Amino acid sequence: MYVDIQSLGEFSDLASQGADRAADALGQLAGANVYVDVTDVTLMAAGDLREAFAGREFVGVEIGLRGGIAGQTVMAFELEAAESLVERLLPGGGDGELVRSGVTEAGNIMTSGFIDGWADHLGVAIDMTPPAYVRASGTDILPDGTFDDDRQGVFMFESQVSSMDEDLEFTIYMLPEYAGFTEMLGHDGPVGDTGDAVPVNKLPTFNRMTEQGAAAAADNITMMTGTETDVDVSRLRFVPVQDVPAELGTETVAGTVFELHGDPSGYLAILFDEASAEEVAGGMIPTETEPGIGDMEKGALRELGNIMTSGFIDGWANVLDTSIEHTPPQFVHDMGSAVMSPLVSRLGQTQDHAFIIDSTVRTPDGNVRCDIYALPDQRELAAALDRIEPAATDGGSLR
Amino acid sequence: MPTSVLIADDSEFMRNLLREILEGEFEIIGEAENGVEAVDLYGEHAPDIVMMDIVMPIRNGIEATTEITEEHPDASVIMCTSVGQEEKMKAAIKAGAEGYITKPFQKPNVLEAINDVVPA
Repeated sequence: MYVDIQSLGEFSDLASQGADRAADALGQLAGANVYVDVTDVTLMAAGDLREAFAGREFVGVEIGLRGGIAGQTVMAFELEAAESLVERLLPGGGDGELVRSGVTEAGNIMTSGFIDGWADHLGVAIDMTPPAYVRASGTDILPDGTFDDDRQGVFMFESQVSSMDEDLEFTIYMLPEYAGFTEMLGHDGPVGDTGDAVPVNKLPTFNRMTEQGAAAAADNITMMTGTETDVDVSRLRFVPVQDVPAELGTETVAGTVFELHGDPSGYLAILFDEASAEEVAGGMIPTETEPGIGDMEKGALRELGNIMTSGFIDGWANVLDTSIEHTPPQFVHDMGSAVMSPLVSRLGQTQDHAFIIDSTVRTPDGNVRCDIYALPDQRELAAALDRIEPAATDGGSLR
Repeated sequence: MPTSVLIADDSEFMRNLLREILEGEFEIIGEAENGVEAVDLYGEHAPDIVMMDIVMPIRNGIEATTEITEEHPDASVIMCTSVGQEEKMKAAIKAGAEGYITKPFQKPNVLEAINDVVPA
């Protein structure tokens, strides 16, 4: 099954526009200044989806979709945001039933805003089931059936919506039924010269391969710093190129970036939050140094990045039966979005959307966190995936 | 005699909001939580206007509107819903709705929609 990249891009744009409408609706309802941070399409292993939601408490509104698109949507508020919303909708409060009704109706209105554009674009009617109020932990907030087919993974549209002046953040999750959605994105032929089709059945394999690469990179951190780390989550996202920097936010990070040459070419960034960078660099330097990230720490992080990158891309090269080289490490220390902007501007010269392969490596106590972002050239990635031997995609499960 | 209104919406929050907007200027003859109740209440009271949500349990607002307008061709129904899909709007008109307002709305939107259907 081949998925048309242009179609996937169109759906990504529809989700982005839908999220804007949902944010506008919330702004009107709550009288707050609300905006969409970022919208992306994720193809994720079910196990990783569980980890991404683990330990979080949500209040949400779940609505089923039937007709033109089948699937589920969930508007998920973390508890504090839900309380802010209730305070805005019902100043002075109300009884429990009325509060639930208010949150449910807000979710209903926002979901309609999110879905209307899809229906109009496709020229179909999409029926919504009556909204259901849910309060749940972890992945229980997601619709029943999300994990029914671990073998294929989960397509998930995710829009993060924030407020300027209030704690009103929420996330819109839209999970189309996998089979129907891939059919909708279907592309008749193989990749061809234009590289505008991706063999979607091979994406889970690629995801698994990325996870193995991230595991190799985590092992390298452990080996070089003595700090025990493991891969926390790994996922493949599809986002408009201009939205990539926003994915990294404004937190200051330190680490290394690399340009990749081969099939696929692209960029790789290995980024630590500042505290983690200091801790891992400290673990590599045998002598006491001044607090902060000085020359010694920069050198250590360059070396660590160099070795982690090799570990990460070796697996790609082996499975894709190709050779991928990387440039010497370039040290970066800036806001995440600022680190990514120059890479994206180069990538944006040839493509409108980008695949981001994002892996998080963490210590069990969460004190050290490293994010690995790979940004391959979309067409070269599609062509490389097309070359994966069928045997490499056997075995089903993404984990 | 003030214009009489039936509110049909499965959301208590939204029914309260509409009641607050309409009370004082209109006579609210009842509130329905689903399409079946809406049809029944219409049969009992024959209000001048029905403010009808689309997505409701048991029977949705378009089905309820069809049933009401088939039985009572003079009935005036305003769809009052979060669904803004063109196909759904066409379906609402086909069912006999005379007006359509999209949530979230403000009081002037509601009054304007009612005045369009039942001029003061």
